[in-house]
Amino acid sequence: MFVGRITTQMTTQQVLGNINSIQDQLATTQEELSTGKSINQPSDNPYGASLAVQLNTDLAGLSTYTNNVTDGTAWTQAATSSLTNVSSMLQRVQALVVQASNGAESPSDLAATASEVNQLTDAIKQEANTQYNGQYIFSGTATGTAPYSSATGDVYQGNSSAVTREIGPNSSLQVNADISQLLGSGQGSGDGKLLDALRTISSDLTSGTSASVADLQSNQLNNLQNSLNTLEGLQATVGAAENRLTLASTRIQDLQTSDTAALSNTEDANMAATMTAYSNEQAAFTAALRAGANIVQSSLMDFLT
Amino acid sequence: MSIPTFTGLQTALSGLQASQAAIDTTGENISNANTPGYTRQVVNTGENAPMTISAVNQQGAGTQLGTGVDIASISRMRDQFLDIQYRAQNTSTSNANTNATQLQQVQTAVNEPSTNGLQSQLSAFWSSWSSLANDPTSQAAQEAVINAGQTLAQTFNSVSSQMSTVQSQAGQQYATLTGATGQVQQDASQIATLNGQIAAATSAGQTPNTLLDQRDQLLDDLSGLAQVSVTNQSNGSVTVNFGDAATPLINGTTVTWPQTLTSAAGGQLGALLNLSSSSGPIGQDVSSLDNVASEVISSVNALQPSNPFFSGTSASTIAVSATASTIQTSSSSTSGADLAQSVANLSGGSADQSYAAFVAQIGNGVQAAQSTQSTAQSLLTAIGNQRQSVSGVSLDEEMTNLIQYQQAYQASARVMNTINTVLNSLINTAGSGL
Repeated sequence: MFVGRITTQMTTQQVLGNINSIQDQLATTQEELSTGKSINQPSDNPYGASLAVQLNTDLAGLSTYTNNVTDGTAWTQAATSSLTNVSSMLQRVQALVVQASNGAESPSDLAATASEVNQLTDAIKQEANTQYNGQYIFSGTATGTAPYSSATGDVYQGNSSAVTREIGPNSSLQVNADISQLLGSGQGSGDGKLLDALRTISSDLTSGTSASVADLQSNQLNNLQNSLNTLEGLQATVGAAENRLTLASTRIQDLQTSDTAALSNTEDANMAATMTAYSNEQAAFTAALRAGANIVQSSLMDFLT
Repeated sequence: MSIPTFTGLQTALSGLQASQAAIDTTGENISNANTPGYTRQVVNTGENAPMTISAVNQQGAGTQLGTGVDIASISRMRDQFLDIQYRAQNTSTSNANTNATQLQQVQTAVNEPSTNGLQSQLSAFWSSWSSLANDPTSQAAQEAVINAGQTLAQTFNSVSSQMSTVQSQAGQQYATLTGATGQVQQDASQIATLNGQIAAATSAGQTPNTLLDQRDQLLDDLSGLAQVSVTNQSNGSVTVNFGDAATPLINGTTVTWPQTLTSAAGGQLGALLNLSSSSGPIGQDVSSLDNVASEVISSVNALQPSNPFFSGTSASTIAVSATASTIQTSSSSTSGADLAQSVANLSGGSADQSYAAFVAQIGNGVQAAQSTQSTAQSLLTAIGNQRQSVSGVSLDEEMTNLIQYQQAYQASARVMNTINTVLNSLINTAGSGL
């Protein structure tokens, strides 16, 4: 405060200026209280505002990863369930073939068995055509194409590319399994894989000759066993992917928690402190008004008669 | 030489007149206590020339007898060095005020941190690509990418156009203030008129206090627009150099306006010129936003080799040129989603980081402008108080003076009364025997 001759206007303006500046402060605190944020414009804290923008971007990214994990988990769960069904059907075929290959069955029994094998074959192909959200999960990246269809016989229509989900920064995970390793491309290819084996088993059963029964016993049981091994491999791969997705989900939740905490530390108002500041400012404001009223009123005129 | 009989009456009369002038001046001060630009006036009094009287017994050398008081002048209490300081500070304060106000408008346009600013639109855009990567053949996902892209482009457009509007409004404001009917022209021609009137009064030997107050007030006004440098001339007029204009704005009664100013002119006009220039603070903010936009455009288009997703090169021109059917999700002819995934992976990348830096740049600019503003404001208040301390009216002081002058008036009247009584006894008593 300047010391010297004090004029009436100076006193008035000083009082007014102080009241204005306290009111300004009150308005700022009120905004903090009503929004719950200490950063309402970038100028309130430029570094904090920029940090808040970055943290919001990070949080949006994490929620994208969460969506990806959810989507990937649905894929792997669909794959697991299909592979489990294939596995039980494969075991049923195995049992049928063992039964048929001991040579005690009549031709009509064999024909009945053949028809059951045919139905199981169709059912296995059906499982291979499982869709999630309109996408074929066993077609590689050709998700719009059914891997096996009646029109194209037993030939695999998909590709062997990996379908991946981004579950973190620079971290992607394969969520599909290459089912053509298990099913192969049918009898025509002679690849000895499951569809080839099943078709051969069916024709062996239908012909019912001793040579074909011998083929069942010597070759096809072997092929089935190999398929079962491959299937277990696929199931292990998909299971492992599912585990990684669960882990990723936990990790993302941890990151979300810490980012949200950091964001809150950056931009949220400390309510207790702000409330206290608000009460102080209000007290100061009332005092300034009261003092102003007294100061501005009194002058020498009050005491002259 | 003896003392003339009525000398005492004249002396008392001069005292009455001086006290009356002082009381009237006090009245003037009290009446104008709240008039902007009013300068406190005081009556300057001096002794009247004495008369020499001889010694009564013809033995002494005689002596001088005072003959009362003379009203020399009524003058303004004003310190012209405080005026110079006040006007210089007024120039910087008004410069800082203008900067802070305009930059705050830019900040409002940016609207961060919020849930509907550019940051959240950018995140929504990246996220839509991630959904597309998860389901590359889905038409809904493709439409979602196009929509998110359009929203992003429109947000860029509108933020950019709001910033440019603030910029061009600064230019318009400058044009209004400096135009033919603008404040500069008006103030300058009034000062020129006053210059003429003051010069005339001065040459007649008067002190035109009211005109001087009006001119000082106008000069204060002018100093808010740009820096002023005032030179007093011997005839009472002032020559005013304004901003960095080549010719004095006012010379005697001549006004030279319009003239070219640059942002170095200071004050409101300097700030407006700086803000409206493309290399000024708003221009820089606009180009930073353009950089963010062009980073988004180039990084996304690089991953859409056969059909660019965005057209345009800046925040004001960015637009979505792709359609749902032209989006490329895969780099190979077989299906897949590597391109979509790569676009999604741009999230949190350089475009987002540039945007965060842009927000910090805006915030820093406004914060700096605001702190300059509050410093400048307190300095102006301090200098204003010093000036008020010299020139302002204190009612308490005037009341004290009023009592003093009233007493002096009463005393002079009493002297006159006494002389009257003395003369009465001389004329009636001494002469009663005749």
